[in-house]
Amino acid sequence: MMRATELCWHCGERLPATIIRATIAGESRSLCCHGCRAAAEWIEQLGLTDYYRLRTQPAQKADIDRTSHLAWQRDEIARHFLRDLGDGRRETMLLIEGVRCSGCVWLIERALLALPGVASVQVNALARRARVTWLEERVGLSSILDRLARTGYRAQPLDARALDEVRRRESRAALKRLVVAGFGAMQAMMFAAALYLRDAHATDATTDALFRWLGFIVATPVVLYSARPFFAGALRSLRARQLGIDVPVATAIALIYGASLVEAWRGGGHVYFDSVCMFVFFLLTGRYLEMRARHHAGDLIDALARLTPPFADRRREDHALERIGIHELRAGDRVHVGEGGLIPADGLLLSDACRVDEALVSGESAPIARRCGEPLIAGSVLIDGPVDMRVERVGAGTVVAGIVSMVERAQSERPQLARAGERATARFVVRVMSLTAVTALGWSVIDPSRAFTAALAVLVVSCPCAFALAVPAAITRALAVLARLGVLVVKPDAIAALAGASDVVFDKTGTLTEPTLALADVQTSERISRDTALRLAAALARESHHPVARAIAAACSDAGLPAATGVISQAGLGVRGIVQGRELRLGASRFALPVRESWNAEGVVLADERGALATFRLSEQLRPGARETIDALRAQGLQLHIASGDSPAKVADVAARLGITSWRARLSPADKLNDLRLMRARGARVLAVGDGINDAPILAGADVAVALASGADIAQASSDIVLASERLGALVAAQRIARETLAVIHQNQRWALLYNLVAVPLAALGFVPPWLAALGMSFSSLCVIGNALRIGRERSSMMRASRPLRSAAGAT
Amino acid sequence: MNAVLVTIPLALLLLALAVGAFFWAVDHDQFDDMETPGLLPLDEGPAANHPDDDEPIA
Repeated sequence: MMRATELCWHCGERLPATIIRATIAGESRSLCCHGCRAAAEWIEQLGLTDYYRLRTQPAQKADIDRTSHLAWQRDEIARHFLRDLGDGRRETMLLIEGVRCSGCVWLIERALLALPGVASVQVNALARRARVTWLEERVGLSSILDRLARTGYRAQPLDARALDEVRRRESRAALKRLVVAGFGAMQAMMFAAALYLRDAHATDATTDALFRWLGFIVATPVVLYSARPFFAGALRSLRARQLGIDVPVATAIALIYGASLVEAWRGGGHVYFDSVCMFVFFLLTGRYLEMRARHHAGDLIDALARLTPPFADRRREDHALERIGIHELRAGDRVHVGEGGLIPADGLLLSDACRVDEALVSGESAPIARRCGEPLIAGSVLIDGPVDMRVERVGAGTVVAGIVSMVERAQSERPQLARAGERATARFVVRVMSLTAVTALGWSVIDPSRAFTAALAVLVVSCPCAFALAVPAAITRALAVLARLGVLVVKPDAIAALAGASDVVFDKTGTLTEPTLALADVQTSERISRDTALRLAAALARESHHPVARAIAAACSDAGLPAATGVISQAGLGVRGIVQGRELRLGASRFALPVRESWNAEGVVLADERGALATFRLSEQLRPGARETIDALRAQGLQLHIASGDSPAKVADVAARLGITSWRARLSPADKLNDLRLMRARGARVLAVGDGINDAPILAGADVAVALASGADIAQASSDIVLASERLGALVAAQRIARETLAVIHQNQRWALLYNLVAVPLAALGFVPPWLAALGMSFSSLCVIGNALRIGRERSSMMRASRPLRSAAGAT
Repeated sequence: MNAVLVTIPLALLLLALAVGAFFWAVDHDQFDDMETPGLLPLDEGPAANHPDDDEPIA
């Protein structure tokens, strides 16, 4: 499964110089840290070592930090997150970090159910949520969280009023409707076949009537129950005085069903109960897939829950700390934040100095040093601490909350470009409707007895194939193909917008570049070789957790590194220690060099008591595939831009390496959004790619937005497309497939038009007998579906050896 | 044709039963999570942890 010699048995990270060994399930395993060892031993103690066999992904690095979860017992906090189910049972929804694969689900369920008093556990791997119920008198929430923490997962209760219940109800109802429509379509088709295939000469009026009414029986639940969302949607948009897509759909369903009912009543012409069922079934299939994609992508509530910590440590008058829920925090409170902790609210630093990582909030890649009195932003991570801060703004007043509301605004003003396709079909349907009316009128003048049959034939011959299938079949197929490439399309309209994009705006930090730094260049003095300098520096650096130190340590293999003793790290400056008998310093030049001396001061300096030995220059690492992606997108004729919150020098460096000439640096989220508006004013259709919280507004406002799955949840929540694989290259493939899809949709619509131009006049003139109308409809539907199945075919066989997907082919 | 008069109501009855069973399953949490239960067959349970029948799949 993995090379046990180099990687941690538990989390799969590279092993440090000092390996920790533990005997798990009778075998000696190497582990990277005490946290991982504790988790692995704990898992063994629970008798759950099967986890290591079941999992498909290594676990998250277990945190040694075992904060007490006792605060969750407090009533004020519990009220917000727990639901009382009566008879002493409590329920909560936990958001669990580090759920990577189904193995985790298995482990979490076993571990919690082994706890006496836990009644039920349901884990959803994709949503990273668990619903837990327990008996209040036997176990508390804090023990549940404790147990999860020991197993290596950090969990956080979600607000009890979370959207989850709504979502669950929605997905259950959609599934029921889909299945009723599917069964109905099958049965109606069978009864209709009996009518089509009967011997025309041996007509038995009673048998015919029987089959017509049978069709009515199975079609009725489909129309009245399954198709209800279409009627509800049509009503809603009519009330808002708009002609949404649901209006023609609902009209067509109602007309075909109503007309067939009248025909069945009169015992005359042909009934189309089978067509109406199939029509509803296909539409619901598309909507069901769309809903599942949307649910997987997470929502704003989740995102906010993860941005700010649930607790804060407030300092009381007597300087003692008390743990309170974040919603109890008020402006003016003095709050204590530990090293590695999340800043709970916007405020001012009261301690001397600290460094914070604001990468997710502002896009700045390097940690920022803050001095006493300078502002701290909620949601950023404190790198060194602990510090005290004074709260200035809480809740909705924080910068992060401001960004969230900006997202909501931008989303509401999103251009409705993608709706153009739907409007086209809507126009088409309106034309069909008017043609039906004209036919009915015409025949009522010539021969009133045939008016109804002919009008109905026009409606059936044209409607289902042309407009019900042309778009959904292509979109459904495209969604499936893209999902296999690791591209989750949250809003299906995004496909059209993706195909039509003219400009791409990239965020830099975390999107084009890796979140970690890499060593770019080493300059040495004449006293030392490059290799020795690097080894000495790495020996010191691996004792520190600073991102710069990590980058230096990563540049050198761990094997045979000299040991560093007496290592002291000074926050914000560097580390010093004794390596091979020499006292060495590694860090900023003002720290490493005791006396000012002439030395290129940029970068990290390694020095001994005699002066500087080497300078290490670090740069950001391009994400793998970034170059190829950029080149491919440019080759497809797109204009490329970078909009970053980072410093100009860093942005310029990355832009130069990728050959992007249009870049802007140090942009606030509002600046980004402004740039976007300017671009759109020029007529550009903008595709935005980002991952941070600071990208969320531009993502929400762009014509089509792509977020990386590794990024902030709020970025994903405001995007149309999520790249689950984190390979930027998938974007190129996605764009190609989107264009292909659009082409297929146009072909389908053109084919439908051609077919209608031939079939509809014939039907209107009364030349089309019912069996031919049904045959024509089926043939035309099959053509459209077959065409849709071509999407991504060459691509998928080329990209990956996967089974061809032909699930939709058998439907008609 | 008399056979049809028996088989069709029977088919409709079965259909209703199938839909009813499906609704029951949906309402009893069977379709809320379609990804994770794939692992349940591999779970031997905490009591039945036999060391000798080690590899249930693979």
